[in-house]
Amino acid sequence: MSGIPMEHGLMVASALFAIGLAGLMVRRNLMFVLMSLEIMLNAAGLAFIVASTAWAEPHGQVMYLMVITLAAAEASVGLALVLQIYRHFRSLDVDAVSQLRG
Amino acid sequence: MPAPLPLLSLGPFALVCAAAVTVLLGIAWQRMHTVSALVTIVGLLGALVLQLALQTPDSAETPLLVFDGLSHFAALMVLGSSLVVALLSHTYLRGYTGPREEFYLLLLCAAAGALILVASQHLASLFFGLELLSMPLYGMLAYRFQSSHSLEAGLKYLILSAAGSAFLLFGMALLYAQTGALDFTGLASEMGPWALAGTGLMLVGLGFKLSIVPFHLWTPDVYQGGPVPATMLLASISKLAVFVVLLRLVLEVPTFRDEALSALLAGLAILTMIVGNLLALRQSDLKRLLGYSSIAHFGYLLVALVIGSRFAVETAGVYLITYLVATLTAFGVVTLLSSPCRTEEASNLEHYRGLFWRRPWLAAALTVAMLSLAGIPFTAGFIGKFYILALAVDAQRWWLVAAVIAGSAIGLYYYLRVMVALFLREAADASRAGRGGHWLNDTIVLVLALLVIVLGVWPAPAVDWLAGLNY
Repeated sequence: MSGIPMEHGLMVASALFAIGLAGLMVRRNLMFVLMSLEIMLNAAGLAFIVASTAWAEPHGQVMYLMVITLAAAEASVGLALVLQIYRHFRSLDVDAVSQLRG
Repeated sequence: MPAPLPLLSLGPFALVCAAAVTVLLGIAWQRMHTVSALVTIVGLLGALVLQLALQTPDSAETPLLVFDGLSHFAALMVLGSSLVVALLSHTYLRGYTGPREEFYLLLLCAAAGALILVASQHLASLFFGLELLSMPLYGMLAYRFQSSHSLEAGLKYLILSAAGSAFLLFGMALLYAQTGALDFTGLASEMGPWALAGTGLMLVGLGFKLSIVPFHLWTPDVYQGGPVPATMLLASISKLAVFVVLLRLVLEVPTFRDEALSALLAGLAILTMIVGNLLALRQSDLKRLLGYSSIAHFGYLLVALVIGSRFAVETAGVYLITYLVATLTAFGVVTLLSSPCRTEEASNLEHYRGLFWRRPWLAAALTVAMLSLAGIPFTAGFIGKFYILALAVDAQRWWLVAAVIAGSAIGLYYYLRVMVALFLREAADASRAGRGGHWLNDTIVLVLALLVIVLGVWPAPAVDWLAGLNY
């Protein structure tokens, strides 16, 4: 067991999550939006690892494997869509893409 | 220890997955649209029949999944809705010039995800089912990638759904940090600040997927932009499955019934009912309007969640059936009028002007669906609303009662506006008659519309069946 208390680890994960969320809301470039999503997912992964280490249990690590799988799948579908969007709009700006109103 | 492994209970799920693999291999070998559709329909129909035959008196369970009355009911609804979507997709996709077969593959994967989700009793299976359900939907919504609207819908759903998943996962991690368990019964063991924060985050994540009001902004755009069959799937099985799993969480995990969270949920329910209905008032696009209407309907359903008693499960069941039948009818009509898919879909209300004089049966079906969504007596929607109101009155939650009534009153206006447009005497755009459909498609929509009326006039069999399921 490491000497770092679980609370500290969870706080780091929370900070990471908040950074990702802020990026998601502030950034206008689609690539950065996708990267912010990755940061949020990794924050969740870190929290699972921290909790799993604190409980000395493998369940959280299994969940972490599922989280990175999800992040990879999310990134591949996201990048495929971004590629099509760039072909279509010649821009990666969120505001340029957003046309539906009402 | 659990009884022998419930292999038979997993049968419908296995059948759906087998159909997905068959479609996948078929695509690799030779592209045949009708054959892919047939495999999909046969697979879903087989799964539906098997699920109907399954209902055993005592429930089976594994560490990850539980097969009880609630999951049986939800699985039937999921399979039935997917079947309707698959049948209508065939007509819709006939006019599509790009690859068509993958749509069925995605549909089957989404159905499999929903089946896992409604039966999950462990955070891992919850997460797995939710992602298996959401991931194909990104592809389906962006399926017509030549159209900028479809692309936009796919991307918006991807970003917001992924953000929702991140919230959900972080919440799960915090709950796990507090309790050291991932199964629903283990989560019940402990309360604490981390668990409470985790529960809140999980509610945010699931709220995104259900488009509860502060997290509803994506809904109208995605509904409007996506191809109609994809929107139909999103409005039916995705929402149903997420709601069912949320209901299970509220029933089984005490942290979800915390006083403060419950009050917060009640507030969100009121907000969702009012805002959803108010925003729908000014819509001139039928798909957007249905999007806002679905927001409002899930506001009504939240009432059952807030009260969370045993009777609330039955209420939610009745409401979900009535919502599903009416929504499928409405989207079915939109699909048939947009089929075969061309440059633009028949979603603007202008296209529906005088529909009665061109396609009287479809206009009648849409009228019935709108009446039901508005909750007019003698349609299914009335029974659902009645149950919700009875539940709220019984629990003496007068604010919720007031919000349901106010929401329904506002809703009446825009549903009636659609109906009036149908019967106006001006033929707008004659090319929008949506010709070339098979008689079978019209029959499906008409059967659904008939079901709306039958459920409204004679609800006893459905209600008895729901009450007889063991939760």
